[in-house]
Amino acid sequence: METPHPTNKIALPDFLSRLAHGRDSAQRIFILVTVIPLILYMAFWTLFPMVWGLALAFFDYSSRRAGGAFLGLGAENPFIGLQNFIDMFNFQPDAPLQVRQFHSSLKTTLLFAFLVLPLNLSITLPLSVLIENTHERLKGVFRTFFFLPVLAPSVGVAIMWGYIYHPQRGLLNGIRTLIGGKLVATNWIGDTSLFFLGIPVALLAIIFAYLWQDLGYNLVIFIAALQNIPESIKDAARIDGVNRWQMFRHITLPLLKPTILLTSVFTMISSFQVFDIIQVITSGRPDDNVRVLVYDIFENAFRYQRMGWASAVSVVLFILVLAISIIQTRLLKTEWEY
Amino acid sequence: MEGRNTIKTHTVGIFFNKTIIYLILVPLSLIATLPFLWMIAGSFKTGREIRQVPPTFLPQEPILDNYKTILSEGRDELPLGNFYRNSAIIAIANVIQVLFTSSLFGYIFAKFNFRGKSLIFWFIMATMIIPHQVTMIPSYLILAKLKLLNNLWALILPASIDAFGIFLFRQFALSIPGELIDAARVDGASEFRIYRSIVLYQLGPALATFGMITFMTNWNAYLWPLIVLTEQKVRTLPIILTWYSNQHSQQIHLTMAASVLVILPVLLVFMFTQRWIVKGITLTGIK
Repeated sequence: METPHPTNKIALPDFLSRLAHGRDSAQRIFILVTVIPLILYMAFWTLFPMVWGLALAFFDYSSRRAGGAFLGLGAENPFIGLQNFIDMFNFQPDAPLQVRQFHSSLKTTLLFAFLVLPLNLSITLPLSVLIENTHERLKGVFRTFFFLPVLAPSVGVAIMWGYIYHPQRGLLNGIRTLIGGKLVATNWIGDTSLFFLGIPVALLAIIFAYLWQDLGYNLVIFIAALQNIPESIKDAARIDGVNRWQMFRHITLPLLKPTILLTSVFTMISSFQVFDIIQVITSGRPDDNVRVLVYDIFENAFRYQRMGWASAVSVVLFILVLAISIIQTRLLKTEWEY
Repeated sequence: MEGRNTIKTHTVGIFFNKTIIYLILVPLSLIATLPFLWMIAGSFKTGREIRQVPPTFLPQEPILDNYKTILSEGRDELPLGNFYRNSAIIAIANVIQVLFTSSLFGYIFAKFNFRGKSLIFWFIMATMIIPHQVTMIPSYLILAKLKLLNNLWALILPASIDAFGIFLFRQFALSIPGELIDAARVDGASEFRIYRSIVLYQLGPALATFGMITFMTNWNAYLWPLIVLTEQKVRTLPIILTWYSNQHSQQIHLTMAASVLVILPVLLVFMFTQRWIVKGITLTGIK
């Protein structure tokens, strides 16, 4: 890679010329002046917060209290070891509110992610095949229709869906009133007593809105993957007299497997981190049945200043994401195309 | 990349008939745009019409008053200019710095050898799986110490390095011919000159794509700005929109107009640049 080249006659400060001697001095200097700032930056803005965040999980820390000399740890922000994590396993009905809220957040987050993933795939996969089968010129048009919500700010989308679900003024109840002929005023987001198949209706409503915004991502990925399938394979299958369904089932689907796996992991990880839509659609005060982990971290850290506890919850979130990433690398031993 | 879009797919089929496909797709795409249309329609309704039960879809007597109220001085005013400016400053600054660092370090990790290189590279890659929420609290405390809360720098300073960007540009830089770089060295070009005129040029299309995505994520960002920007004057568009919506929860005709003013202009811009955004997503799978 690095071929010898004419000596670079550059006057160097003494300390640099000692580091950067020899024929490749210009390259050495280039590396020094770029990589050293990178290391310093990463140490300060990435490594340091990571270690600090992990450390906070073992303290009863609040930025309001006067703590010890080093990072405010110690003194009134005592080291409590694993206590935060032990508290998480307190399933007694009289457990502190923050523990019970953590339990509902974890439960809702998992429910959310495990509902979003299959729903997302079962819509985007067939939809991408349909769009792939339209006229060349219309493909772009259809793609734009479904991709538009991806481009919109999630906050605007959440406000919009909040109005669609509005009990009195909402579009959804309006349509139901028109069809049914009598007034309906279901409080989709606010009524905590509504359940469908054991799942809170408010959560389902939020999932629907989330899917509506999020579908476009996987859709465009699948469309690109479909276009990547070599025509020769399909032609060979056609000669063998394969019909559309068999083609999809035995040729398209297996070839899409790596893509499906990859998008599943991305969809899963981003669902674990859902926040915007839930915070906005509930006007910043989600009930326990739609409370998610990131909201739990946000509220504990920045509303109640329980930063130690919030850090412990963020460690749980990290473990979830890590688990999915590990499963991904295990499953993705096969080659993938992107 | 260019080639695969040109592969034509066969359209004649037994299982899927063209007409059936359109019968499914056309209503679905209408449903996909319905929320936007309803919102735009709502922004032209009077407060009385918006409270009407059951609600109307199209405004019975369209008015521009909601927009006038928002844009003129008064209790319900929303000085959007300021917030557009804040959002634009942050998004543009971050696009510039992230494109610079990603392309520079992507190139360095692809084409140079130095001690500790793989350690640094794998550390940067490993940070990708750490959710932002883990470092959120310490980053907030650091910014508080630096007295940078409620300052636009709070959104720019910690955002200089994008691990994914470095990964992406390293992949692209690997395919830049080494001969090209060496030839430039023989000609006496400085290392930074090589980066500026050869590497950046070779990475051009990727810069456009990744730049659009970076702009979009910054423009739409919510959680982090919500935490570090609590004073009115420094807020960004998404934050101000939710604030306005909570203030006017009984006048949703006003909030609808405000949302249209916040969403629509960028939606139009993104629509015309979506080619690059789509390319970036399909290339990388990032969000």
